[in-house]
Amino acid sequence: MAEFAWKSRSPLAHAVEPGRAGARAGAAGVTLTEIRDFALVQVMARRGTWAETARVAQQLWGIDAPGGPKAVFGQDVTLVGSGPDQFFVLSKGSSVQDPVEPLKQAFAGIASMTDQSDGRCMISLSGPRVRDTLAKFCSLDLHDSVFPVGAAAATSVDHSAVTLWRAPNADGGSPLYNLLVFTSFADSIWHLITESAAEYGAELGYAA
Amino acid sequence: MRISCPYCGERELGEFSYLGDASPKRPAVIAADGGVAPDAEDVFYDYVYLRDNVAGEMSEHWYHGGGCRSWLVVRRNTVSHEIKSVEIAAGAGARTGHPNQERANG
Amino acid sequence: MADAVHSGRLERVDASASGASASAAASQTHRISSGGLIDRTKPLSFTFDGKAMTGFAGDTLASALVANGVKLVGRSFKYHRPRGILTAGAEEPNALVELRGGARREPNTRATMAELYDGLEAVSQNRWPSLRHDFMAVNSLASPIFVAGFYYKTFMWPAKLWEKLYEPAIRRAAGLGKASGAPDPDHYERAWTHCDVLVVGSGPAGLSAALAAGRAGARVILCEEDSALGGRLLADGGEIDGAPASDWLARAVAELESLPDVRIMRRTVTFGVYDGGTFGALERVNDNVPVPPEHQPRQRLWRIIAKRAIVAAGAHERPLVFPGNDRPGVMMASAVRTYVNRFAALPGRRVAVFTNNDDGWRTVEAIRRAGGEVVAVIDPREPTAIRGRAGGAGANVLRGVVTGVKGGVDGVSGVQVSVAGDGTREIAADCLAMSGGWNPSVGLSSYHRGRPVWRDDIAAFVPGQCPPGMVLVGSANGDFSLGICLEAGHEAGTRAAADCGASASAGRAATATDEKFSIHPLWHVKGKGKSFVDFQHDVSASDVLLAQREGFESVEHLKRYTTLGMATDQGKLSNVNGLAIMAEATGRSISDTGTTIYRPPASPVAIGAFAGPNRDEHFHAARLTPSHHWAAERGAVFVDTGLWKRAQWYPIAGETDWLQSVTREVLAVRNGVGFCDVSTLGKIDVQGKDAGTFLDRVYINTFSNLGIGKARYGLMLREDGIVMDDGTTSRLAEDHYLLTTTTAKAGPVMQHLEFCRQVLWPELDVQLTSVTDQWSQFSIAGPKTRDLLKAIVDPSEDLSNEGFPFMGVRDVTLRGGMRARLYRISFSGEIAFEIGVPARYGDALARNLMVAGEPFGVTPYGTEALGVMRIEKGHVAGPELNGTTTAADLGLGKMMSKKKDYIGRVMAGREALTALNRQVVVGLKPVDTAARLRGGAHIIPKGAVPGPTTDQGYVTSVCYSPMLKQWIGLALVERGRERHGEIVTIHDPLRAGDILAEITSPVFYDPEGVRQRG
Repeated sequence: MAEFAWKSRSPLAHAVEPGRAGARAGAAGVTLTEIRDFALVQVMARRGTWAETARVAQQLWGIDAPGGPKAVFGQDVTLVGSGPDQFFVLSKGSSVQDPVEPLKQAFAGIASMTDQSDGRCMISLSGPRVRDTLAKFCSLDLHDSVFPVGAAAATSVDHSAVTLWRAPNADGGSPLYNLLVFTSFADSIWHLITESAAEYGAELGYAA
Repeated sequence: MRISCPYCGERELGEFSYLGDASPKRPAVIAADGGVAPDAEDVFYDYVYLRDNVAGEMSEHWYHGGGCRSWLVVRRNTVSHEIKSVEIAAGAGARTGHPNQERANG
Repeated sequence: MADAVHSGRLERVDASASGASASAAASQTHRISSGGLIDRTKPLSFTFDGKAMTGFAGDTLASALVANGVKLVGRSFKYHRPRGILTAGAEEPNALVELRGGARREPNTRATMAELYDGLEAVSQNRWPSLRHDFMAVNSLASPIFVAGFYYKTFMWPAKLWEKLYEPAIRRAAGLGKASGAPDPDHYERAWTHCDVLVVGSGPAGLSAALAAGRAGARVILCEEDSALGGRLLADGGEIDGAPASDWLARAVAELESLPDVRIMRRTVTFGVYDGGTFGALERVNDNVPVPPEHQPRQRLWRIIAKRAIVAAGAHERPLVFPGNDRPGVMMASAVRTYVNRFAALPGRRVAVFTNNDDGWRTVEAIRRAGGEVVAVIDPREPTAIRGRAGGAGANVLRGVVTGVKGGVDGVSGVQVSVAGDGTREIAADCLAMSGGWNPSVGLSSYHRGRPVWRDDIAAFVPGQCPPGMVLVGSANGDFSLGICLEAGHEAGTRAAADCGASASAGRAATATDEKFSIHPLWHVKGKGKSFVDFQHDVSASDVLLAQREGFESVEHLKRYTTLGMATDQGKLSNVNGLAIMAEATGRSISDTGTTIYRPPASPVAIGAFAGPNRDEHFHAARLTPSHHWAAERGAVFVDTGLWKRAQWYPIAGETDWLQSVTREVLAVRNGVGFCDVSTLGKIDVQGKDAGTFLDRVYINTFSNLGIGKARYGLMLREDGIVMDDGTTSRLAEDHYLLTTTTAKAGPVMQHLEFCRQVLWPELDVQLTSVTDQWSQFSIAGPKTRDLLKAIVDPSEDLSNEGFPFMGVRDVTLRGGMRARLYRISFSGEIAFEIGVPARYGDALARNLMVAGEPFGVTPYGTEALGVMRIEKGHVAGPELNGTTTAADLGLGKMMSKKKDYIGRVMAGREALTALNRQVVVGLKPVDTAARLRGGAHIIPKGAVPGPTTDQGYVTSVCYSPMLKQWIGLALVERGRERHGEIVTIHDPLRAGDILAEITSPVFYDPEGVRQRG
């Protein structure tokens, strides 16, 4: 019998039309990029084992596990705090192989892990008007003094839970925010974001 | 209203949902062998239904479902909406005591 | 207020000599040739009630109407009395117009707040057939009927007439503008912003506060309702730091704009104060143009989060209450000044001024300086300093009161004055400027039940207890002096910044010297004719007195009985006069009389602004399954289930109605194989060494003894003993379960489980997370399921009954190397598996299933066919798990463990929940096999008279069963299990009427369950 091809399809495959959207005059005020092909593992410390969990994270990735709402940037991974004593491990790659498998031994009995690579869709937002855009759907204070590079938050967009963090500034110096949204909400939230960015002119695209 | 989640920081009301009075404790009326205490129904009736209608300060359960999914105990004045304190439920994280206290390696 | 009116204009724009503008000016009979903050090089055309007029950039619709000599602009709500422009601001009660045409028509727009643009169309309201000849003005003759409380009194008339006659007639006669009735073509937005210090209002106090806080390094937001900053400085000028106030204003604005953490929001009204330093504000982004530029909203609703708030919202001038005070051409004295100074438009050529305070005299000066004639100044007080100075130049100064106003629809022609000790006099005038003093804008300070406090010296209410973090400064705080405004603003700004940790130098405060405000209260000039208190709602002084005589003395009663303060201006002009008259009538002090409760919004806000982007198909977010676009390509019909869009059925060529498609899908599954997207079911990862114990406590049955690689049906109760949700839960490892919920309850169950874990049993080692969106999951069902699976699953996988028994769960590899999880569970009653792959491969899985299943006639089926098959099998779902049923009601009582504690166990044992006459799940089969069963119909004994005493239950789920070839249903029926075989009446008065049906077992098809285990 035939082997089957397994073509990955992003939840935004239908929605993202790469190129310029909204106001056309001048440079785009906002750049919106869907980040495809990443692996995302949720690590939740077992009862009473946060210290061990953090130690294993340090051994595996050489960085501190975020003990609060923070993003910690490592060589190959970004760790993003998602709640008390839990965090996401974000890395490049895909979910063809279960990304939990390689971590199982190190965290055995210490932390529970769940593959969320396909449970979330990732959108990065940057550009000179990125904060004006975010202000339309995000209730957080994103001022530099409150939400600097490395700040993270579990918050809501249009009543849907999301994870937001600020990455190092984009080329050109504008702030860069990454947003993880539930896969099933991606289409709706993308629409909301592009509508919010329309008056500033948006450059839309996706990246592997 | 805004609630300061011990993990997330101050957030708008829309991220939270309200449960009610945090003081009733779930009665332990079932023995290890599954036997039911004779007054079980009465104490559960109190636990499930009977609430004081407090005008003033009370402890309430709030759920930060639009954020870190922690259950919170919020000490709030029901007249002024002033919030005196917010604590995270004991089982919200792996750490005991004050789960939000950052550790040296955290 | 500054009384030293400077000699120069704030910003002179010389009249252009161009032909266009000269002809444009022709209609502007009341335009002053120079001065004002208008741009005479930019003439704008507009129409009012179809008549073409012109104005200039910088005008409001109201100022342009004044410049065009228009006096009559509207009709009052109740009596349809002719009304003119009364104010120059947000408190305007009379000049409400329908702005724009077509779908953009916006009723009840205040002409005083509408910035003029080229092509503006405005139409007056509440009149027929025209503004000048309003048929409904006969209401005025019937005014003895329409007295205070008339609406309530009519209830005492024959009730029949009320509904048919009075209400429609009253509603037609009394009204405001009409909405377009068409969908709004513009869009609206909501947005959040945050700051240390919010400053509301940009008059001298607000600017001074914003400057101090901004210089100190605080993050500042300055909200100004007007298009220009400056507040009363724009109309009153004055001197600051020894130079014209306009110089300081320009410098202050430039400095604020240069500060990086200061945000100036023009055209933004702060309308509400909410808990925790949250403020509501409406930005009129594009109300000043006919159509918003592409991609831009018309309005934006802001939620501003501020640590400190400085409210410098100014004050509203108070009308005087005297006979004829509503005649077009009677205008607030400060508004006259605004039209003259800011807009270079003269409200009258012969102006009389009636004032009980010093501020009214500044209008005298302003009119004179602009070249207008002041025919008389009527002031009941002893001569004051300002009177000596301003009145010196030959004005006709009368110590007395106005007792009547002559004129008609075209405005004032004269005023009648009663001079103290010197009889009455008539004075010819075409405009009467009135000033009864100033009411501080205390609204924002009072939304948290703060009660304003009366101050006799200024005859006004000032803020009482403010919400935490808020102070009021300037005239909003009762300080009617430019010097104090500047100083108090500076001090408040400095302190607020320091409270937020910003301690850089705030610089020095600007200074001004002016005289102390002086007033002698005058609440009601009695005389012949109506003296209005609330102009828009036609509440007169006599209505207030009538309310008092009829016992409605409390201010809250007064408000509701007379509708005083319930107009669109929400009592900004009328409340204090109304309660002062009530105080006089009852012999109480104004302080004892008190104010009504203040509630937001302080200014009208369109519902569209609150809705923002959440309208039409974006009313709420939609959740799409990974196979959504594949299903859409196949022409699937989608149904909303919660937020999800689910494929309801997949019509194929030639099918003309849904039942045809659904029946085909059911038969395809029962006879062959089909698949259905079940990704929407909630999926929760439950991990930790106590995961099994945890599940034992939340389910009525036991899960700790479930074998690894096995699934089990579970039912959970609420703590009150009623069923909460059901689903299949699998054990993937010793310390790892996967729990499923119904689509509808995924969120509530997650919240409930988190409560159990975090609050009830924190000692348990359990971790929870939702994996609903991680997996794309399909149910594959039908006798040929294995054939299909063999075609897509790696050949090494054993799918036989022995190798993969009923209720087994296992990770498998698919042909081509895809990882998947396979569950042998069945909702349809056929051999069935659920197959899950990571979501991004869900689309590929659907397509590959179609290819792999092609030889077996594979058929995708939707939620409707799924529903038919579960009803045929008697499986309960949402309509049966409806918040009233117990496990036993559903026929699942045997699952309730007696060996452990679990949520709901104790309360489920209550007498009423275990009573023998409870309504329990049964099947229903119409006796006439052609008859259709309808959901929601009631069940009564055969032939009984329908009624509450004979009602024995209701139909919960119905379908046409292709297997039984008739309509069948599930129902909740009293003692239903004892009554299988009984014929009952299905009572459906709303739809098809009554039919007879037989009560049966709920399991209609394959009751032994042979097929699913095959």
